[in-house]
Amino acid sequence: MTSYASDPAWADIEPLPQDDGGPHPLAAIAYKDEYSEAMSYLRAVMAKNEMSERVLGLTERIIGMNPAHYTVWLYRSRVLAALSYDLRTELAWLNPTALKHLKNYQIWHHRQTIVDALDSADGEQAFIAGMMEQDAKNYHVWSYRQWLVKRFALWDAGELEIVEAMLQHDVRNNSAWNHRYFLVFGRDDGVVVEQKTIDREIEYAKETIRKAPQNQAPWNYVRGVLRYAKLSPASLKEFAAGFAPVERPEDIKSSHALDLLAEIYAQEQGKSEEAVRVLDLLAEKYDPIRANYWNFRKSQLGSASAAA
Amino acid sequence: MSLVSGPGRGGGSDSALPQELQLFVDKHVRYIQSLDKRKDELEYWLTEHLRLNGLYWGLTALHLLGHPDALPRNEVVDFVLSCLHDSGGFGAAPGHDAHMLYTVSAVQILATLDAFGDLEARVEGGRRKIAQFIADLQNPDTGTFAGDEWAEYDTRFLYGALNALSLLGHMDLVDVDKAVEHVQACANFDGGYGTGPGAESHAGQIFTCIGALSIAGRLDLVDRDKLGGWLSERQLKNGGLNGRPEKKEDVCYSWWVASSLAMIDRLHWIDQGKLTAFILSTQDPELGGLADRPGDMVDVFHTHFGIAGLSLLKFPGLAEIDPI
Repeated sequence: MTSYASDPAWADIEPLPQDDGGPHPLAAIAYKDEYSEAMSYLRAVMAKNEMSERVLGLTERIIGMNPAHYTVWLYRSRVLAALSYDLRTELAWLNPTALKHLKNYQIWHHRQTIVDALDSADGEQAFIAGMMEQDAKNYHVWSYRQWLVKRFALWDAGELEIVEAMLQHDVRNNSAWNHRYFLVFGRDDGVVVEQKTIDREIEYAKETIRKAPQNQAPWNYVRGVLRYAKLSPASLKEFAAGFAPVERPEDIKSSHALDLLAEIYAQEQGKSEEAVRVLDLLAEKYDPIRANYWNFRKSQLGSASAAA
Repeated sequence: MSLVSGPGRGGGSDSALPQELQLFVDKHVRYIQSLDKRKDELEYWLTEHLRLNGLYWGLTALHLLGHPDALPRNEVVDFVLSCLHDSGGFGAAPGHDAHMLYTVSAVQILATLDAFGDLEARVEGGRRKIAQFIADLQNPDTGTFAGDEWAEYDTRFLYGALNALSLLGHMDLVDVDKAVEHVQACANFDGGYGTGPGAESHAGQIFTCIGALSIAGRLDLVDRDKLGGWLSERQLKNGGLNGRPEKKEDVCYSWWVASSLAMIDRLHWIDQGKLTAFILSTQDPELGGLADRPGDMVDVFHTHFGIAGLSLLKFPGLAEIDPI
């Protein structure tokens, strides 16, 4: 790219070099040329509070080099507002930028501001799907997705189906499980969770566990559903025992099943011996790195608080 | 403080002593000191938006390593104050917009260097002014905090606000009960906490939520056994900790998970010996610094969180750190 100093469109601007803060700065000046020059023009236009198309171009160039520079994003937002810039055009520019910088979070806040102002979620689910093909556990993207669902009431707009497809692809995606819980139990639109929905969710978690028993996410999920519905974990006793036959330790397929089984025994009258046995298996064989935790659970057996 | 990664890589050692026994204190001190001498590298400038955080991480690591004077105090104070805006907020570097994250780092540095006096001498009523900037970012309806005027909300900002306000002695300026209510609203079905209500549990966010409740004196609201169970489940077979289920281990979670466990008195639920060995394995024994995991480039962020983790684990020779 040509330099701003030799571009007639920028001839009226006197670039402002880095102010390095104090007489003996810890941070002195040695930018690489291109970035350094672009920043000096940005400082100059910011000092004049210039709101123009060329400033948008300048911020695009700097964001391309350094998308994490939040001051540049903020200034860009101000310029967009001042120019009443077409926000669809802004989104069209933002899409490839977001794909190029997956871990950057300024982009997501910027996007949220724009989509909020547009007052339309058109195309957003498809865009998110593209992002998630690159990184299915990106926290910023999932947060943005939750905001979108709430802001535009997308509870029944295909989100559950999307999550289901993602879980089919990777049953260990904890972010997708969290989104599922959010969609089913976190609704803020007054829809009541019916018994059949609770049954469906328990069945879905069980089905997923059957495919991959040593997977934390659905076990956490199903226990969360039981707690939400105020159901006793004992209703899963047979199911859990199926993956953790204590009589045949060599056939145990899931430490999470053992964990749940221990909890069920702990709450059952006269079953503390069984609980001890299960917790010993965890402490000694199936999850020894957390032996202290399992031993703590053992120490709680029979005490008044064990049922909590 | 530069966040430029490298030059070293975690993992190697030619020493005669087994590496799992060693913390290369002098190497790490020199590594941190060298960070500001890398201004000829583009990455130094590309990370300018984190300069004040980086300075805090470097400085804290030096204090823990027993070399609090390895960076020149007055220059650090000068630099920090050069980032202060009239609003009472700090930017990441001179010319950067004020934001909660940098304001918190600035307050933490000033507190570490016992420099609130320097602040008052140069900016009359400075403490109060900074505290007001932070307090004004609280959302009166939900109790949470924004990062800046652009209203992005995150439990990180809520924790940072309470942390800085308690250091400044100005908790009275905010509605602590509302903030606590918000943290409660972020509790998830699995026992963890996220960036906001409904957001996935994440070890870093759990640290901010438990830290905030701890500062507010409301740890009684936490289901310690359930949360402790989730947190201890973050330890992987190699001893390292991850931040969410089914993610890779990373040295920075040595701090976020372990300090959260310490705050709820459950640090002994993980294998501390294995965690110590994992953190030590991420050191570059030649050039200093720690990486996220063995084989990756070192940087000051992971150097700080790794050393802070070791301090929490009472590694010999390190100053003791407060988990909050």
